[in-house]
Amino acid sequence: MTNRPAKVRRRPSGPARPSLVALPILLMIVAGCDGPQSALSGAGREATDVSRLFWVMLVGGAAVWIVVMGTAIFAVLQPPRGARVGNAFIIGGGVVFPVVVLAALLAYGLSMLPDWAQSGTRLKVHVTGEQWWWRVAYELPDGTLVRDANEIHLPAGEPVEFVLTADEVIHSFWIPAIGGKMDMIPGRTNRLVLTAEKPGTYRGVCAEYCGTSHALMAFSAIVHERDAFDAWLAGQAKPAVVADSVGARRGRDQFIAAGCGGCHMMRGVVELGDVGPDLTHVGSRRTLGSGILPNDRETLEAWVRNPDHLKPDVAMPGYAMLPDADIAAIATFLEGAK
Amino acid sequence: MSAPQTSLSHVDQGDPEVRRGQEERLSAVWATPKGWRYWTAVNNSEVGLWYICTAFAFMMFAGVLGLLIRVQLAFPDNQFLSAEAYNQTFTLHGTAMMFLFAVPIFEAVAIMILPALLGARDLPFPRLSAFGYWCFLIGGIFVCGSIFFDAAPQGGWFMYPPLSTKQGGIGADIWLLGLSFIEVASIAAAVELIVGVLKCRPPGMHMNLTPLYGWYVLIVGGMILFAFPPLIAGDFLFEMERAFDWPFFDPERGGDPLLWQHLFWIFGHPEVYIIFLPSIALLAMIVPTFARRPISGYSWIVLSAMGTGFLSFGLWVHHMFTTGLPSVSLGFFAAASEAVAIPTGIQIFVFVSTLLMGRVTRSVPMLFAMGALAIFVAGGLTGVMVAVAPFDFQVHDTYFVVAHLHYTLFGGMLFPLLAGIHYYFPIATGKMLSRRLGIWSFWLMFAGFNICFLPMHLTGLLGMPRRVFTFPGGLGWDWLNLISSVGAFVFAAGFLVFVWDVVRPKRETDAATRNPWKAGTVEWMLEMPPKPWGSRTIPKIESRYPLWDDPEFLTKYDEGRFYLSDAEEGKRETIITSVLDAQPIQCLRVSGPAVITMIAAGMLGASFIFATFHWWWLTIIATLGAMAAIIFWLWTGTAQHPEKAEKDIGLGSLVPLYISGPKSTGWWAMFITMTGDLTAFLGVVFGYFFFWTVHEQFPPGGTTAPGWQWPLVAGVLLLAAWAATWGARVVNGRGRVGLARLLLVAGPVAAAAGIAALVAGPWFSGLDPTEHAYPAIVWALVLWTALHIAVGIVMQVYCLARSVVGHMTPVYDTDIWNVALYWHFMAFTALVTTLVIGGFPYVS
Amino acid sequence: MSTDKGQVERATGEGTDLWRLITAPTIWAVHFLVCYVGAAIYCEKAGRASALLPVTWFVAATTAVALLGLGLVFLSLWRVRGFSVVGGDLNYLGNTPEERHRFLSHVSMMLCVLSAIGVVFVAMPAFMLGTCR
Repeated sequence: MTNRPAKVRRRPSGPARPSLVALPILLMIVAGCDGPQSALSGAGREATDVSRLFWVMLVGGAAVWIVVMGTAIFAVLQPPRGARVGNAFIIGGGVVFPVVVLAALLAYGLSMLPDWAQSGTRLKVHVTGEQWWWRVAYELPDGTLVRDANEIHLPAGEPVEFVLTADEVIHSFWIPAIGGKMDMIPGRTNRLVLTAEKPGTYRGVCAEYCGTSHALMAFSAIVHERDAFDAWLAGQAKPAVVADSVGARRGRDQFIAAGCGGCHMMRGVVELGDVGPDLTHVGSRRTLGSGILPNDRETLEAWVRNPDHLKPDVAMPGYAMLPDADIAAIATFLEGAK
Repeated sequence: MSAPQTSLSHVDQGDPEVRRGQEERLSAVWATPKGWRYWTAVNNSEVGLWYICTAFAFMMFAGVLGLLIRVQLAFPDNQFLSAEAYNQTFTLHGTAMMFLFAVPIFEAVAIMILPALLGARDLPFPRLSAFGYWCFLIGGIFVCGSIFFDAAPQGGWFMYPPLSTKQGGIGADIWLLGLSFIEVASIAAAVELIVGVLKCRPPGMHMNLTPLYGWYVLIVGGMILFAFPPLIAGDFLFEMERAFDWPFFDPERGGDPLLWQHLFWIFGHPEVYIIFLPSIALLAMIVPTFARRPISGYSWIVLSAMGTGFLSFGLWVHHMFTTGLPSVSLGFFAAASEAVAIPTGIQIFVFVSTLLMGRVTRSVPMLFAMGALAIFVAGGLTGVMVAVAPFDFQVHDTYFVVAHLHYTLFGGMLFPLLAGIHYYFPIATGKMLSRRLGIWSFWLMFAGFNICFLPMHLTGLLGMPRRVFTFPGGLGWDWLNLISSVGAFVFAAGFLVFVWDVVRPKRETDAATRNPWKAGTVEWMLEMPPKPWGSRTIPKIESRYPLWDDPEFLTKYDEGRFYLSDAEEGKRETIITSVLDAQPIQCLRVSGPAVITMIAAGMLGASFIFATFHWWWLTIIATLGAMAAIIFWLWTGTAQHPEKAEKDIGLGSLVPLYISGPKSTGWWAMFITMTGDLTAFLGVVFGYFFFWTVHEQFPPGGTTAPGWQWPLVAGVLLLAAWAATWGARVVNGRGRVGLARLLLVAGPVAAAAGIAALVAGPWFSGLDPTEHAYPAIVWALVLWTALHIAVGIVMQVYCLARSVVGHMTPVYDTDIWNVALYWHFMAFTALVTTLVIGGFPYVS
Repeated sequence: MSTDKGQVERATGEGTDLWRLITAPTIWAVHFLVCYVGAAIYCEKAGRASALLPVTWFVAATTAVALLGLGLVFLSLWRVRGFSVVGGDLNYLGNTPEERHRFLSHVSMMLCVLSAIGVVFVAMPAFMLGTCR
């Protein structure tokens, strides 16, 4: 600190440093932007458009930043300039340039606003936000509903309309890799049209703070080719499969006896309650607990015992009082419910 | 008020003996109380200092919460905080930073330095400042303290219903009531500061010579009046839902959660600019000083501050881009959000242009100013990005927005503020902060900030949502979060260096010399260390930078050759001037130390706290206590009769000691307060029409309850009460005191009957406020109006009593002037309420 | 309240006050609110599938009125002000009421320009979208 002027003189590199370092890092990361939850991975038409817009705005913004800060640092270091320079700078840089650029950006942004009236989708997916999971139903062209939970399956290459609402509190439905988010608001129905393009498995989340376990409210979004999607949907419409084993059948009986059906729909097995996630094909899901846990035996058992440990404040009570053998049997049964 | 030439020519300001006598009298009058009585001080230098320290204390508390957040998010699946603890932490972090630091620090700094900038001795309502401060302290401790009892709010700083209306516990109530209370303090400060800038400028300081800081304070004060009240209206509806189950936000009974979002963000977005403008205002003072030349575009700055202030009210829906509103609505708000970048940018360009044209001296304040520029420009550019609605669909509620908002707030608020604190530290304490520590703290903070928040842009684009207490590994966020957490601690280290610099014992070498930065503006005429009286003499201003332009200025100041260089009558005095050209129009006696302000704030605080716990009887008792305290305060402390009509304030100016009506500060204070109150009322009315918009049929089922009859009766009676009050003012002014008293008896009677008729409408038509949003909003309007009329009755009776005991006379009539003004607003409120509830059902 | 005071002061040869300063941005604010509230009510009552054409016409009319208003304010200021929008700010000529008056009209004129830009920006969406979605 002895060399004060030098210290201050070094400022030019100072403010510039983060962005100069950051730019190459950003560019390197472009390749690594393909995460399952990345808005930059461009697996859907909307996300691709937005990420293109982002890169353009980033480059433009960085240029503006460098010019403004460069001028400011130049102004500090250099001898005074005349009033003409100062005034021209204010009018050119502060008024004319922003008015033109912002008008262009606004027009471009407006042209990107979705005009969904004309999209003419074949498939409608109803999604309801619950605390903290997703109630899902696929509406076929004939109006029948195929119910599911905590997973979204989509056909590639065609627009799909999501009909979004919520039960108790506000949530927000977001599959970053495919497109922007839309809030789910109790008492309102929002619509969102997304077009998935690249088949694969992505991750969606709740983006609006919705209470204690907001962080634990995710889902898998699986994009299929059209044929595979149709096949999946047909399978989904069928009742639950009970695996052909003693354990699974015992598990089914225990499932009913313990009263699980009071909340969970399991088509073909028990169809009483409907306040919790539909479990008809739970064995075929990628995750448990709404996108947060691996779907395996161990987790199934742990969940049945003490769901609150895995997801604080969850509505489901724990069944730790059941004998281990019963829990194991229920897990076997659920695992087999493909 | 052109005065006869009776200047104080008999006083020889050149004689040191004379000056010593004047200084002794000034010292005695403006002395700060000693011992425990220190806390009864109301002078701006004490209250401002407490205010600043308290706001920074809350800031550090909230900062620690921020660090806890970063510890929790340093690693995936971290178990450091439980979900509930984390949710309380982030809610309180945002709440405290916004409501207990960002807004109050503006008020604090303004109360501290504005009188100096205007060469005034104090602001016009010192006790109101003190009252505001105590409200702020009590409310802040209440809100922050809740986390130690695991009772803190956990609905986010935006408190969206239905989540927060359904949450059990008292967290949300603490948030609502604690903050309503603090909003009272903000509005009090806004009143003080607006009147301060408009009416307390030194003689000769025309509007176009006002320091830019004054312009910003004026604009921000105005913004507070239109931004905070909608939130107060929202809080009112919200608490009615939580406490009494009136379903404003419950969709099952006709409510709508989006109403809250509108009311909240009508407040919330201007609030960002309310935070930003006063801090950038500090730069507008600092930059010319170190560029060694006047600001290169004074009117550009005024223009852009004004433009920003207005445009900032057209942005609120950009916080609601993903709520499913029609695209065209999004478009309007996207347009305004882009447009606001223009005036905001102009301010930055004026600063840079001033630097270009000047010969820049390097200093710690300039270093912070440059850092602020670098950060704020980046935040502004990401702001332009998120204003593009489709881009916002992706990044809304992600860490990208977290990064954006911290860039704007650190660059637009914290760094300029720290620049300002380094710059103005001598005015508060007479000492300088260390240059070496300043440079260290700057670089630590600047580096730490960027390490923390720059990666967050990417974290957000990679899909990480906000307000999550944990996150799974393997999504590309692990390293980014860890880097952010490290940066947060580097920043905290830098901030601690700053805090140490402020609190460390100062040596003699730290003492400030007079005008240490060689600035040109008037506040640097003050002696170092500053005296309790503020200005030795209230200067006559001829230019924007008198210290640069007039080489004799300091000599004239020191010799007391301007206005009010003495306190012959032993009273605290300052000069009130006209709005545009600052001609002296009054010598205002301002109040001195008082306990009553503390008691009033304590009682009001108690009533809010008791209401949180639903202890209604205690609430009522405390509210009555607060009213009694305020009435005592007004009765004993305001509108006192001076011992003579006019006073010679020097330089040949003879001005009155007492004025009433639109020229007086009290009238302006009432006008400003009621403008804010009217905005809040319109917020409630907005609720009514919002429900009409979203419902197929509203009122539901085609009902016409509460009917037109009772509202009509109420309207007529309330307008009669208004007419009586107005009439009382007029006839009292003409000397017909008896008739005025009669009208002041008739007024309360009509008003009370009006309240009864107003309540009778919904009461007899059986509207049950818990049934549906319609009866609830009707009752809310009735309740709001009735409570205001009740306060109006108290005022009428107060005037009557003042008249009877002789405090209010045809000459000394400021009480009735201000009460009549209150009733003008009441007449409008009553008219709108009765027309809406009694008339609208018949036309919809 | 302002008129009384304004009369007195204008008699001394001035032409602006603080109210004049906020006229232009107030026109912007009113235009903004009218456009937004009009469109919001229309879209809520007519249904989300409806065409935006009535809103487009409504916004066009409102915008025309707003720009006309701003133009009138600008012209009236131009007369009392007498020189260009951007020049002459760097030095003030002395501490006279006339100088203060020139300053206020200068700022008011620039606010007219800014408000007009704001009005045009805000009107753009109504011309670029087709339906209430």
